[in-house]
Amino acid sequence: MLQVMQIMSYWLLGLYFITFAGYLYDFFADKKFLHNAKRLFLFVTLLFHVVYLVERTIFLGHLPIVTQFEIFSLLAFSIGFTYFLIELLTDIRGTGVFILIVAFIFQMQSTLFIQDDYQVHSILQNYPLGTHVITAILGFSAISISAAYALMYLLLYKNIKSNKFTTIFKRLPNLEILELLNFYAIIIGFILLTIAIVIGLTWMPSAFPEFSYWDPKIITTMVVWLVYCVEIILKLRKKIIGKRFAKYSLYGFIFSILSLLFTNTVLNSFHDFVN
Amino acid sequence: MDIFGISINHKTASIELRESLHLSVDEIKEFIPILKESIFFEGFILSTCNRTEIFGVPKRDNITFEDIQKCLLKFKHVEGLASKHFHNYFSCSAVKHILEVASSIDSLIVGDGQILGQVKDAFYLSDELGFSKTVFHKLYEASVHVGKRSINETTIGQGAVTISFAAIKVLEKIFSSFQSKSALVIGAGETGTLAAVHLREMGIGKLSITNRTLSKTEVLASKVNGSIVNFNSLKDSLEDFDIIISATSSDHYIIEYDEIKSMMKKRKGVLTCIMDIAVPRDINPKVSELDGMFYNDIDSLNIIVNENLQKREKEIPKVNKIILEEMTTFFKWANTLDVVPTIKDFRDFFEEIRLDEIGKIRHKVHDYEFEKVDNMTKRIIGRILHHPTWNLKHLSETGTDYETAKKYSDIIRELFNLDNKNRNNGEK
Repeated sequence: MLQVMQIMSYWLLGLYFITFAGYLYDFFADKKFLHNAKRLFLFVTLLFHVVYLVERTIFLGHLPIVTQFEIFSLLAFSIGFTYFLIELLTDIRGTGVFILIVAFIFQMQSTLFIQDDYQVHSILQNYPLGTHVITAILGFSAISISAAYALMYLLLYKNIKSNKFTTIFKRLPNLEILELLNFYAIIIGFILLTIAIVIGLTWMPSAFPEFSYWDPKIITTMVVWLVYCVEIILKLRKKIIGKRFAKYSLYGFIFSILSLLFTNTVLNSFHDFVN
Repeated sequence: MDIFGISINHKTASIELRESLHLSVDEIKEFIPILKESIFFEGFILSTCNRTEIFGVPKRDNITFEDIQKCLLKFKHVEGLASKHFHNYFSCSAVKHILEVASSIDSLIVGDGQILGQVKDAFYLSDELGFSKTVFHKLYEASVHVGKRSINETTIGQGAVTISFAAIKVLEKIFSSFQSKSALVIGAGETGTLAAVHLREMGIGKLSITNRTLSKTEVLASKVNGSIVNFNSLKDSLEDFDIIISATSSDHYIIEYDEIKSMMKKRKGVLTCIMDIAVPRDINPKVSELDGMFYNDIDSLNIIVNENLQKREKEIPKVNKIILEEMTTFFKWANTLDVVPTIKDFRDFFEEIRLDEIGKIRHKVHDYEFEKVDNMTKRIIGRILHHPTWNLKHLSETGTDYETAKKYSDIIRELFNLDNKNRNNGEK
């Protein structure tokens, strides 16, 4: 069974790669036959990912949200799934390559470094943790997508500004749409992160004797939350728009990635369940 | 196939000459009866701002291209045009040219979206006046096929190929909706008018016009249902607009960098687009350095236009392939025009003999015996005629062997005396 899980993980990585390659090729070549085929391939990949997650849950006896690399796989799924929904609802098909590369990178890290045999902390097998982790993952997916839209905004902005009407100009939706999609993704991400933080802060003090509000992971998460809270307030008050808003989103995402990596690798936290 | 005709277009004559021979719908209605009377049995006339095409099936063998040219020049009372200003087409080349026109590869701007509609209208008009008959009905079908297939199977009609359309493409990459946007057009000349009309067609929310001459501003503003901005106080109201299109004939900048900088400060970074389509330019191009400001002049818009034109030209071989396919279909059909009556007459000839002969025994045998004889003779005639009919049809449909098909057809008519049925009956 362990071997099946490993093979499936590599197959999944292959599917993500093919899907990403399909979107990349279509972005530059703009082939009619790929317009629907790439969406179908994304659907098949996501379906296979669901099977993989279910299989892993059944075999391990708990949700695959325990290790960092299991979470990366869930992140890849939620980014891919969120994009799939956006593409279905808006029929904007030119942005997939910028979002699916993030999903592919997360899945690659998961496939290459995931452990299938480890001891699970008993505390990780309860309901509040599942909700906490899943909302946090979905929230993080949303801000990843917002960063992808921010990047697309900046690329298109530069293209138009410099009168270089390249593939970016031809294939991406307009600046106002990209700004709107970026903003919506941040709002969704912020709401989900807020839910995750509220559940975490309510449940963790009773579950962990060593819980501290000064825990590095809690502090960095709160800082990330604050960064996006400030961004939303500034945007609603029209203090940052256009390029500045896109830059803020991108820097906010980079900051959150770096802070999460820093707290996970350098600092000690009670929030580490594998060790 | 005797189709021939003349064409005067952007490749053969200057715009002045083309204009002098342009035919309005009323003129075409007047000119077609003249052509019908002396030159063509059937045909069609296409006249647009870039071309006048007159094609038809001649009434007599001795009609020449010069006859059509003279007839047109006489009708339009134009002098000074020579044969060199016309292109002449005959048979295959005539059909090919009509299909090339319909496909838009012969247009001034390759892939021009209007030409197919104009070709259709020309055929409709000819049909309405009884000028278009069997051959030109089929040619109309072929033209529409070519036009539609060129659009659907190639990318010949894609991409912006005019400055105003390129400007719209850029605007569409910045703004998601024009309904909530406001635009200012500076200049009420030809270019300014075109820009204002385009903006109105795009559904712009608020459209304002400004120009040095107030009377011109008023005319354009009323035409596009826009408001008027006083030219002298123009700089005070710049911040109200998301899109500014400038097309004046001023020989110096009418808006300077500092003025736009101050405008952007007041707009607090809200995206703004300036399309400076005047030559020389109206607005200091340094404004493109400002954050949130998109500045395009003729040169930058030409990048889009030229790139799209090159792409369209690359599609021409694909369109030529479509034209060739449709020509083959057309000539297959056209070649059968002469053979089909022969086949029919040939079969009728044998059927008449058969009916005549079995009629003689009609009352001498029982019904069931007569039925047997009737069926047997039908089968005999069918078997005898199968190969000659098939060969004749095949020869005519291959298109390349039209002469042979005609020769066979003539021999059959001659051998069986198909052109003189009465004599056949008499001999009987």
